[in-house]
Amino acid sequence: MSRLQKTLRKYALAASTAMSERIAYPGNFVGSMFTYALFVFIFSRVWAGAYAGATEIAGYTMSMAVWYFIIAEIPSFGFGRFFSTLSRDMKSGQIAYLLARPYDFIGYSMAEKLGGSLMEAGIILAEGLVVGLVLVGLPPAIASGYPAGSSSLALEAARSGFLVVSLLLAGALNFFLQIALAMTAFWLEENEAFFWIFQKFALVVGTLIPIEFLPEKVARIAVWTPFPYLSYAPARIMVAFSPAEALSLVARQALWVFMALLLARAVFASGSRRLSVNGG
Amino acid sequence: MKIKDAQAPVARFRGRFKAYARFMTAAFLVNVKATLEYRVNFILQFFGMMLNNAAFAAFWKVLLDRVGKVGGYGFSDVMLLWALVSSSFGLAHIVFGNVRQLGRIIMEGSLDVYLLQPKDVWLNVLASKTIVSAWGDFAYGYIVLAMMTGTELERFALFTALIIPGALIFAATFAAVESLAFLIGNSSALSSALTEFMLSFSLYPEGVYGTGLRWMLYTIVPSGFVAFLPLRVFRSLDWGLVLLLYLVAALYVGLSYGLFNLGLRRYESGNRMDARL
Repeated sequence: MSRLQKTLRKYALAASTAMSERIAYPGNFVGSMFTYALFVFIFSRVWAGAYAGATEIAGYTMSMAVWYFIIAEIPSFGFGRFFSTLSRDMKSGQIAYLLARPYDFIGYSMAEKLGGSLMEAGIILAEGLVVGLVLVGLPPAIASGYPAGSSSLALEAARSGFLVVSLLLAGALNFFLQIALAMTAFWLEENEAFFWIFQKFALVVGTLIPIEFLPEKVARIAVWTPFPYLSYAPARIMVAFSPAEALSLVARQALWVFMALLLARAVFASGSRRLSVNGG
Repeated sequence: MKIKDAQAPVARFRGRFKAYARFMTAAFLVNVKATLEYRVNFILQFFGMMLNNAAFAAFWKVLLDRVGKVGGYGFSDVMLLWALVSSSFGLAHIVFGNVRQLGRIIMEGSLDVYLLQPKDVWLNVLASKTIVSAWGDFAYGYIVLAMMTGTELERFALFTALIIPGALIFAATFAAVESLAFLIGNSSALSSALTEFMLSFSLYPEGVYGTGLRWMLYTIVPSGFVAFLPLRVFRSLDWGLVLLLYLVAALYVGLSYGLFNLGLRRYESGNRMDARL
């Protein structure tokens, strides 16, 4: 077995252990599922009110807006809460035990946190599909501009594939940005404020509302930040799929994941030098 | 002698009222002191809550700039709705900070420490804690009010008069569902569900809900009394209806208090060694 294979196996094991832990307590999913369904229901009513005098707003129909919200909320529910456990590990000194072990701290944390949350994200996605079908019917048809000769089945498969990849990239981006924020605990005891600001930007820029709804100038700035790639990208793929746009969105997501990884590594390299461990 | 006898219950009520007012003031001041002990935490939570509320304000601004009205509400209506709900919810958790811990306290059998004290158990347990982040919610309402309607004194007075019954209804409803712990043991799932329902339904325009839901919003999930009716009163500057809201609040408090005391008969101590510091 090559060294790379061994390393991958190690992290895969960490991810599957975290997932098994989550599955062992299925009751823990109930709260998230309930809140998610309530949010989707209320927002479907809000959108119904907003579309009372219009069939289309900023290029979105009511069905698109509801389905957009259903998908955009999945990263928030599935991947939106890494910060608190990561930050707690730093402050409690738990990190001292993690650093001494034979694995890369960021890689291991990613496997553990992201692996553990995949099950929850999957359940929320399945729930969202059911709730969406009940509230507004089938997801919007695939947007125009297909490659000539492609069958609708192949395109539906492509949409599903891009959606899953985009959700996974949203999870990875969420993780790297949140661990970078959590590692500010190397310098500051009270670092929650950074996370709150991050969370609220993510909420406004692409989660509650598509970025096409934002004023033009704001939207133009927003696309240069990582926020649209946390939830806008998968939601847009779901409601207005075209292979070219999906490819572009996924590529930009991947680029942001890479940059966020570099940021996390830089913060870790700088911050871990300041770590002082006391006690036995 | 007869006149003295007739006056005795009134005097006793007045005396007890004064004693409880002193008690509530003392509890409030102790809680404030405890909060200010952790100043950085207080400031962070204060601004964190305001930031959270501001994010939703941004959402509504963007949406309503596009569509004008949703469910009959314009931007200022939604902002005032948020102001009323936010300040009422904040006030409820500042004064009755233990309200959403009540179920856990009952379940763990930790009421003993309150049972041994010479004050009403329900009031004592609810008022013995404050929630730091609630100050941010409370202040947010007044900031929005100042931004939306200016600094007109009557508006501030009416707003304050409206958030008090709102806070009482919030506290009474949460306390009632938490008190179910006497009967069903763990009421945390029910309590979380009701909290989510009440907050979520209160923060969006009444018009978006169908008639089938309206009955619920004026009964078991009383968003109507903490959000929609107060907004109408505030808009019309109708002081007469404020009294109605106080009567509704008294009804909710009475029912919640009754349910707690009914359940208290089934209470079993956890034999824990607790102390109130």
